[in-house]
Amino acid sequence: MDNLQELTRSIRNRLIIFVTAENLLIIFGWFVVEHYDLPGYVTLLIAMAPALIASPFIVRGMTKSVMAPITALWQAVLHLSPTQHGIAAPKIDSLKVGRELVANLVAQIYQLADVAAHTQATTAAEATDLHHNFIASNLPLPFFVLNESEIIQFANQAAANYIGMQADELIGKNVYMALDMSFPSEDTFDSWLKSVKVSNATASSSWERVRLNVRDNHPTRLFDLAAYYNKDNTSHMETLLVLFDHTKQYSQDDQAVSFVALSVHELRTPLTLLRGYIEVFEEELEGKITPELDDFMQKMSAQTEQLTAFVNNILNVARVEEDQLQLKLQTEDWGTVLKAALDGINLRAKVRGIEIQTTIAPGLPAVGIDRLSIHEVVNNLIDNAIKYSGESKVIKVDAHMNKEGMVETSVQDFGLGISPSIMPNLFTKFYRDHRNRAQIGGTGLGLFLSKTIVTAHGGNITVASKEGQGSTFSFTVMPYTQLTEELKQSENKEIIRGAHGWIKNHSLYRR
Amino acid sequence: MQSDDTPIPETPNPAPGRKVLCIEDEHFISELYARSLTKGGYEVTVIPDGAKALIEAQTDKYDIILLDLMVPNVTGIEILRALRDTTQTPQLKAKIIITTNLDQRDDVREDIENNADAYLVKAELTPHELVNFVNTVQ
Repeated sequence: MDNLQELTRSIRNRLIIFVTAENLLIIFGWFVVEHYDLPGYVTLLIAMAPALIASPFIVRGMTKSVMAPITALWQAVLHLSPTQHGIAAPKIDSLKVGRELVANLVAQIYQLADVAAHTQATTAAEATDLHHNFIASNLPLPFFVLNESEIIQFANQAAANYIGMQADELIGKNVYMALDMSFPSEDTFDSWLKSVKVSNATASSSWERVRLNVRDNHPTRLFDLAAYYNKDNTSHMETLLVLFDHTKQYSQDDQAVSFVALSVHELRTPLTLLRGYIEVFEEELEGKITPELDDFMQKMSAQTEQLTAFVNNILNVARVEEDQLQLKLQTEDWGTVLKAALDGINLRAKVRGIEIQTTIAPGLPAVGIDRLSIHEVVNNLIDNAIKYSGESKVIKVDAHMNKEGMVETSVQDFGLGISPSIMPNLFTKFYRDHRNRAQIGGTGLGLFLSKTIVTAHGGNITVASKEGQGSTFSFTVMPYTQLTEELKQSENKEIIRGAHGWIKNHSLYRR
Repeated sequence: MQSDDTPIPETPNPAPGRKVLCIEDEHFISELYARSLTKGGYEVTVIPDGAKALIEAQTDKYDIILLDLMVPNVTGIEILRALRDTTQTPQLKAKIIITTNLDQRDDVREDIENNADAYLVKAELTPHELVNFVNTVQ
């Protein structure tokens, strides 16, 4: 500021000197001519002559020394402006007036543009280039710039190295094509970006434990991600992404988490044996024991099956948390899959005197599902219905096409029902109806897992319930043709084939 | 997700006298499996030690190998690799069925599945169901 004031003052002083000099010339001319007895207008003309002749030179001098600093300043400003003007950095040596002052001011302008750190370079223009080059080549973090259509505009060398591609190969690619990322929860980068595009001018966010699937047998990368969003950026640099690698640390954590896998192994061995011995008893004692003992035998068998299912639930929740659960979507006949799943759980209903009544609408299209995970969903919903059936002895299962063209399956019980106050939390991990906790066992994992699996299939899970009258849980799966159609539209077959969907690609499955 | 997805049809006439090598260190499990398989018409050899089992498997006497992944000395995965490596095992007519309760990461598991003929989770099936499954493996 001081510099600017001083410059204004110096320009004013120069102007005063020039104007005063011009006036002095006129006065001097007047004194000289006055001694001759000439008519007034001639005296005036002659007196003014030197001043008139000197005028062009004075104006030229004024322009050079008074206007030059201002010219240098606007040149500096325009040179740094983000819009291209083709203006070179101002040359300071030719300035006659306030040379040092102007040099300082220009330097300050460059400093304001965060360039001055590099003004050791001969000109400010070179400093700008140095600055950009410096960031581009030396930033040790993988760094991506996306435009408004999520196309990569810029990726630095570290980014290219990180994902094992050439930097120029990356530019112009859709970010989701280049970065096959999966997130530990539904709070994903693409869902964030979608929402900030609607409602924010600028926003930033970060994610931990993001997994990157790299092509061609490169090991998986684990990292934290930070993103910055700036709406309608004039140079099409709308979103910035920075990756902080933690592959080593996180994969060590994952090794530790496999404690769950080890525990599961230890639980499964006695389960295998129990099931084996029960079967031997059933075979050997068939027709030789009382109906009561036979009934006990069936109940024992049902309980070991339930424990096996629960162990699988634990394992699968752990896998969801580690982002390890993968789906292999294949075309299947829904009626066949559903019947097989219900057969597997029928004994558990039977020993409680519950009958499962199944209706499967004819002519359902083939569906795109991972059969094993859908088995878990059916298991969990039926288990739940059995648990909350109370005195009621019927569970209805109904499969049909819904209005949205999805294959919908509902599991209805006529038991306790669910209080409206807890409905919103029903699909949350470890959440259970507190009032029933004392009477009814369970961990609150089943519905969480079911929702995760159904959502990853591109389906939906909903619940309708009335206290005292029972609950209906419904979930949808996609007809296979529709699924492939969406995959076609996403032009992303490669990723799907490699990754089999899951949270990472959920946006490709969602409508 | 566990792979009990192979349907288990009842086969009335399983090939009698087919030889099974059961590589399993949990004695109670191998005892149950041997009992059911023998009843089903199979000749069963049980070896709990990985190193010995590998040598036995390489004699190529067996039609079916039931392979647990957690066995002592040489692990199931190492056995599988050695049996699929033609420089170590030039000839192997046996079908390899992985029987495990171990949960594998999907990438590891995919690798195992690609090299084995089947992958079963022991806790998911009873001995009888195992025999029915082995009957379907030709």
